Amino acid sequence: MEVLDNLVKIKELNREPPNQVEFDGMILAATTKLHDVKLQGLSSDSQFSLAYSAAHALALAALRWHGYRSDKRYIVFQCLQHTLCLENAKWRVLDQCHKRRNLAEYEGHLEIDAQLLKELIALANEMLGRVKALGSIQGKSGA
Amino acid sequence: MINCSAIGDALFTKTQQRVLGILYGKPEQTYYLNEIVRLAAVGKGTVNRELEKLCSAGLLTVSRQGNQNHYQANPNNPIFNELKAITQKTFGIVDIIKTALTPLLPQLSCAFIYGSIAHGTDHAGSDIDLMLVGDEISYGEVMGLLPPAEKQLGRTINPTMYTVAEFNDRKANHQPFIKRVMEQPKLWLFGDNEPSNKQD
Repeated sequence: MEVLDNLVKIKELNREPPNQVEFDGMILAATTKLHDVKLQGLSSDSQFSLAYSAAHALALAALRWHGYRSDKRYIVFQCLQHTLCLENAKWRVLDQCHKRRNLAEYEGHLEIDAQLLKELIALANEMLGRVKALGSIQGKSGA
Repeated sequence: MINCSAIGDALFTKTQQRVLGILYGKPEQTYYLNEIVRLAAVGKGTVNRELEKLCSAGLLTVSRQGNQNHYQANPNNPIFNELKAITQKTFGIVDIIKTALTPLLPQLSCAFIYGSIAHGTDHAGSDIDLMLVGDEISYGEVMGLLPPAEKQLGRTINPTMYTVAEFNDRKANHQPFIKRVMEQPKLWLFGDNEPSNKQD
C-alpha cells in the first residue's frame, strides 16, 4: 500500500510479513477483552483499559495483515484510515483515547467521561467486524 | 451575549483580521508571503500592503531567508500581549473554533479553551485543549467538525467532553482535573455565565 510504504520511508512503520497465528491471536485477545468489558461491576477505568487495548490489538492486527508493524500506538491508530478504511473522525476518537491514557500515566489517574468510553467500546466492536472481514492472510489478494 | 466577531469587525478590516489571526495566532512562528496569502485566502497585493504597514509600525518583523521574506509577530512591540489577546478572543482561535462548532450550539451548555494556549504559555507545537459541556454530543461528531479549524490554526485540537451532570458532579466533588481546569485561565467560546459557574 503506497501510503504505508511512505511511512516506512520515514521510519514510522516497518515492513514485516503477516503471520496467521499472530493475527488469529490478536483477534482472540480483542474478542476476549470486548467480552470482559460487559462484565458486571467493572469500574469505568477498567472498562476503558480493556476496550482501549482491544482497539489497539485490532488496529495492530489490521496493520499486520497488510504486512506492516509499528510500536508507536498513535501511528497504528492513524493507519486505520488505510488499513480498515476507517473514517477520519473515528480514528481521531481513538487518538483521543490514546492521549487520555498517556496523560493518565503522568497524572496517576485516568479521567474518562462516559461518552468517550461508550464510543470507544462501540468503535472497538466495529473494528472487530472489519478486521474479521479482512479474511485469512493466505486468501488475501493483491498484497 | 456580546458578539466577539463584531468587536473584531469594528476594530479591524477583514484582511487585517486574517493577517493578524495568522501571525498573532502563532507568534512564535515565521511565515513567508505565499504561505500567508494561502492561509488568509486574500489577494497577494492586499496581503503585501498589509504586511508592509504592520512591519513599518513595528508590529511584525521581517527577515530575509534565501529568496523569501519571512514575517513574524514582533514580541518587542509595546502592545504585543494585548494584540495577541485581542486576536485570540475576537477573530483568532476562539472565533475559528466557535464557527467550526456552530452545528453543536443547541446541545452545548458551555465550551472553553484551557491549557497552555489560554495561559499564554503555548509554543508553535502546542495542542489546543478544548472543554465541551453539553448533552448528547459525541466525540465522533466533534472530531468530524474540527479538522477545518485545525487546518486553519495549524494545531491539533483535543476535546474533552462532559454532560452537564458529569461536569457539575465533578465540580462539586472537587475532582482534581476539573478543579485545576476551573482555576486556570480560560478562553470562553460559549456560555461563560453558565449556572454551574456561579456557585463558586
